[in-house]
Amino acid sequence: MKIRRIAAVWAAKTAGFVCKKMGRQGVTWAGKIALKIYPPILKELAAEVRKDIFAVCGTNGKTTTNNMLCAALEAEGQKVICNHTGSNMLNGVVAAFVLGAKLNGHMDADYACIEADEASTKYIFPQISPDYMVLTNLFRDQLDRYGEIDITMNILETMIRSVPEMKVIVNGDDALSAYLAMDSGNPCVFYGISRPVMKNETNEIREGRFCKKCGARLEYSFYHYSQLGDYSCPQCGFKRPLPDYDAEDVQVGDRLSFRVENRLISANYKGFYNVYNILAAYAGVRTAGFQAEHFTDMLKKFNPENGRMEQFRIQGTGILLNLAKNPAGFNQNISAVMQDPSPKDVIIAINDNAQDGIDISWLWDVDFDRFGEESIRSITVSGIRCQDMRLRLKYVDIPSILEPDVEKAIRDRIKDGTGNLYVLVNYTALFSTRSILKKLEGEQK
Amino acid sequence: MKLTIGHLYPDLLNLYGDRGNIQCLMKRCQWRGIEAETIAFESNDRVDFSGLDIVLLGGGSDREQMLVCEKLKEIRDDFKSYVESDGVVIAICGGYQLLGKYYKTDQGTITGLELVDMYTEQGEGRLIHNIVLKSELFDMPIVGFENHGGRTCIQNNKPLGKVLTGAGNDETSGYEGVVYRNVIGTYLHGPLLPKNPQLADWLILRALKKKYGEEVELTDLDDTQEKEANDYIYKRFVK
Repeated sequence: MKIRRIAAVWAAKTAGFVCKKMGRQGVTWAGKIALKIYPPILKELAAEVRKDIFAVCGTNGKTTTNNMLCAALEAEGQKVICNHTGSNMLNGVVAAFVLGAKLNGHMDADYACIEADEASTKYIFPQISPDYMVLTNLFRDQLDRYGEIDITMNILETMIRSVPEMKVIVNGDDALSAYLAMDSGNPCVFYGISRPVMKNETNEIREGRFCKKCGARLEYSFYHYSQLGDYSCPQCGFKRPLPDYDAEDVQVGDRLSFRVENRLISANYKGFYNVYNILAAYAGVRTAGFQAEHFTDMLKKFNPENGRMEQFRIQGTGILLNLAKNPAGFNQNISAVMQDPSPKDVIIAINDNAQDGIDISWLWDVDFDRFGEESIRSITVSGIRCQDMRLRLKYVDIPSILEPDVEKAIRDRIKDGTGNLYVLVNYTALFSTRSILKKLEGEQK
Repeated sequence: MKLTIGHLYPDLLNLYGDRGNIQCLMKRCQWRGIEAETIAFESNDRVDFSGLDIVLLGGGSDREQMLVCEKLKEIRDDFKSYVESDGVVIAICGGYQLLGKYYKTDQGTITGLELVDMYTEQGEGRLIHNIVLKSELFDMPIVGFENHGGRTCIQNNKPLGKVLTGAGNDETSGYEGVVYRNVIGTYLHGPLLPKNPQLADWLILRALKKKYGEEVELTDLDDTQEKEANDYIYKRFVK
């Protein structure tokens, strides 16, 4: 059996190498091969992790939180296995372990930080039995794949209960996530933001307006965004838990800063939602028992290069690339863009491949009317479903330029734009758009 | 001229971009100089049908439909007389199922509004597809997206259209949706109306005629972008 395991690791490493050479993102291929050769490989390699395994779940912020948590643990001198690229289904998780294994087929890692797609937890959790789970939030996403948000919640609850000792580190500002964690009976650690930060006057779609416990309408003293905020149930007493890690004095602008446990944390990021990602990673590394003295230093250097708020500079144009794949995420993206008062161009690329969700109805749940301001000089719609995106903008009286070819759209705006370009793309458009930007960046050298 | 759109229970039935359907009706009125207003009735509000010209009943999860079912009992009689006096209704997905007698699921049976003689039963697996219909009512195809576990039997009622690609009411009949008086029920979201401007205008025109008389006509709008988006789906999935 030992031989098969080594064979699996070698084959996967070869496959991973070939993929890289061919410029393919597909590490999942390596995972698939390894599983085929030696099915118990994930269980065995996971058992060899010396200390603990983290699983990171939730609709938005998984990849950023997981990468940050990994970097935070590494900053504490730990050796960590991580599925950095966000390949978060079974094959992607297997790939992270086999590609991180030594050539003798054994692991050499203190921790594993594993981002797991919610629906895939049922295949992943029984193999890796996480010690901690970070649950970031639950929003509507890919309804064509999951059916309904209730179905996702049922899967997650079953999986949490299946590992009863697993500590759940959960965003207490999200009534859905907090309810799941509390109801599971597992030990919980909460993080959150106790005071309102941004004015929230948008007409956003909010999930879970009714108490999961008793069905009564939840009351909110304020919203941060989407359904995140300070809630309580007037009927059964279910309410937002007091956070163990509370972000105070939150400042959002060109950069973010806040205090937690009397520590000042600041980062060169845009987007209020990143406060939650940073806070989740912080809560994770603290819950694992570290003092997290190196956390702020880690943040300064943190650059995951994965298209999440990634900056490029091409022929004098500053370009910010970001992922926007569901209404909650897109609305946060719009907030981040609108925080920049200078003139700007926006490119929106929407695909409808299987990994994106083939149903693009969600575009109509995004508050695009907020782009109807003078500082937005042009909007170019691109990607497979650019026609739908153009129509979406038409119905908030915002004209747009149709250019199905993302590369041409970017080249055009570099040529004739304001020098300040935001590129917002959904999942499968992310890797290709990032490659295009990397290529254009290379051309000027 | 003015139209008032009643959006029923958006706090419970708000899946899949129903906001887009409201937005589309509003804009297509406003672009023609017709005043338009939407009233959202949440589950605790009383619905007064006498002030409504178009009623939109959207989609919800099965659990939310159970909750809505209780509310529906209170308005069933008023809703019925609204429909029988040719009030305009657009019911989508979960809302479509609620038009009928019942929706039988493995979690129990949801009693419907009994506005149209039809019923729905949960089947094996969800039907999740891009879908295209040909309807007698319009020359453009109807395009959209379906995502439903229920199979709907519309008895002797007229369907909205013939399925060119996708599953439709029950996978087997080859038809989708229902048309009864001025009521359209359908599984299609996407959302339904923006890419199907003729259907949106059908609802608007029916409502105007009922309110202001048969001689009302709609002025043409530039629907180039709507047609191109519709045509893209048609060409990709049918031709």
